[in-house]
Amino acid sequence: MTTETKSGAKRSRALNREQYRKQHQIKPLSVGIASVFLAAACSDNRQEAMVFTSLNDCQYQLPDYAEQCQMAYEKALAEAAETAPKYGSQADCEHEFGSDQCVVYRNESGNSWFMPLMAGYIIRDLLEPRRYSQPLFTSYSRYSPYRYRWIGAGGYDYGDFRKRELKVSKSYTKPPAVNRTINRGGFGSSVRAKSSWGKSSSRSGWGG
Amino acid sequence: MIRIPTQERPHWRKQADEYGFRFHTMYGQAYWDETAYYQFTLQQIEQQIEDPSAELHQMCLQAVDLVVSDEYWLNKFQIPEAFWQSTADAWRDQTPSLYSRLDLVFHKDKPVKLLENNADTPTSLYESGFWQWLWLEDMVNSGKISKSADQFNSLQEKLIAQLQVIQHWYKADTLHFACCQDTEEDRGTVQYLQDCASAGNINNRFLFIEDIGLADTGYFTDLEDNAIALLFKLYPWEFMMQEEFGSAIIESPTQWIEPMWKAILSNKALLPLLWKMFPNHPNLLPAWFEEDLASASESKLVKKPLFSREGANISVLENGEVQHSVDGPYGEEGFIYQSWYPLPKFGDNHTLIGSWLVDDQPAGISIREDIQPITQDLSRYLPHIIL
Repeated sequence: MTTETKSGAKRSRALNREQYRKQHQIKPLSVGIASVFLAAACSDNRQEAMVFTSLNDCQYQLPDYAEQCQMAYEKALAEAAETAPKYGSQADCEHEFGSDQCVVYRNESGNSWFMPLMAGYIIRDLLEPRRYSQPLFTSYSRYSPYRYRWIGAGGYDYGDFRKRELKVSKSYTKPPAVNRTINRGGFGSSVRAKSSWGKSSSRSGWGG
Repeated sequence: MIRIPTQERPHWRKQADEYGFRFHTMYGQAYWDETAYYQFTLQQIEQQIEDPSAELHQMCLQAVDLVVSDEYWLNKFQIPEAFWQSTADAWRDQTPSLYSRLDLVFHKDKPVKLLENNADTPTSLYESGFWQWLWLEDMVNSGKISKSADQFNSLQEKLIAQLQVIQHWYKADTLHFACCQDTEEDRGTVQYLQDCASAGNINNRFLFIEDIGLADTGYFTDLEDNAIALLFKLYPWEFMMQEEFGSAIIESPTQWIEPMWKAILSNKALLPLLWKMFPNHPNLLPAWFEEDLASASESKLVKKPLFSREGANISVLENGEVQHSVDGPYGEEGFIYQSWYPLPKFGDNHTLIGSWLVDDQPAGISIREDIQPITQDLSRYLPHIIL
């Protein structure tokens, strides 16, 4: 049953440690959310998406769709502010992305961070109201593995930054976009009941 | 299997900060403990742990197959009647599972014994898949452990791959992850799985169990009113089924990791059922339901609630008298009894092996140690090597 694994190492080959590092993140979720998704190596399940380096680039290429370009650009820009890696100092940010590649980001509570400029954006289903639009970043720093690569907000490496067409997965079934939440908080009561027992201020998990 | 005292890496607490490993110390006590490690031979790992784990897991799946189609057993397992059909459907559709952890007792040159199956909400995943892997790399690089040392730990590789399989199976655009509020350990475990999802290029979002909403479309929703297509919940099925939203699960298009049939495997009623199905199997301990207890010839028994986690409400009985007991909030759902089988002792420490499975394949081990004979949620976690 285990003969296949019996030759060679019994442990994971190489872990991408950087992907699991948390120190530079302003919130624990920023690596995970809104990253561009790709299908797991199923070529039949991918389709082309276009890359533009600026709003002008999109409108020049697709003059009939200037308005859609604008909306996709704004969506990507908003996404970039939310999901780009954030650094405490300009030097740290420039070390990763190159000089003059970083801008100040201020969150609602007034804290300042440095994040890379959006270097491009990727669009699919441009004509659909729920078009797919995501920011791309690149690095000019010789210290960075991202140098001259298209990098998604989730850290995914799309390859050489001269590419203008990228393969992304076809849309998986999306649940309905319009949901009216009629009730909230209907899970978790067992925990509240059981928490009254035992440790005072805090507790460990409900896993086992 | 030997226990080897060693020096802590001087930088490990700083490294833990960098990687966001926040629960290495809980309630002022060490949880991650690298003042020692356990060393196994490859033969011990493969023949005494890996192969029996695969076999035990298959036996457990046979038990699920029996229970879902039999009212007698569904009652025995206290699955609420409203969920019988959904549980059976989830099993017949072969809805994929992510992971589980078998707790095993390992004595040198003896068959391992199954204590229980944590099949629904197992934790200590980050420590196993990532943190002890980093520890070994550091120890080898600093020359403290031989370069030829290995570790039984392909968890992270397998988790990334299986999350992709599950996403593809449900064709889900985004994978939501949830655990309860106010628990750093559970949040850390879920964050690790989110990082694994990101490594597999899977869109993912987090929300707390308490924040889940229910929409007019039947979907459960996140705080932005996005429908949840697929939810990883680090929250027990037996709780969810009883709660206010429980009845909405049955008709909801929202899908779940772990799948609903895991409610059968994480239930302690599994232990006496396995003993009935596979009597005298070398990797099983004799176990009984309350009404069969008269047929138990053992004088020393462990009494476990059907739904208990991390050692809570377990007591050890000798000739009917309580020897040890652990407090806790469980037990109103009933108990099962298992033959007492001591954990191996290394100095003052009692040692338990957690054997992980991902996608039905053995994927590594974790080791917990405790001064007490029953390991609990505060038992220390120690790394291991194969040499």
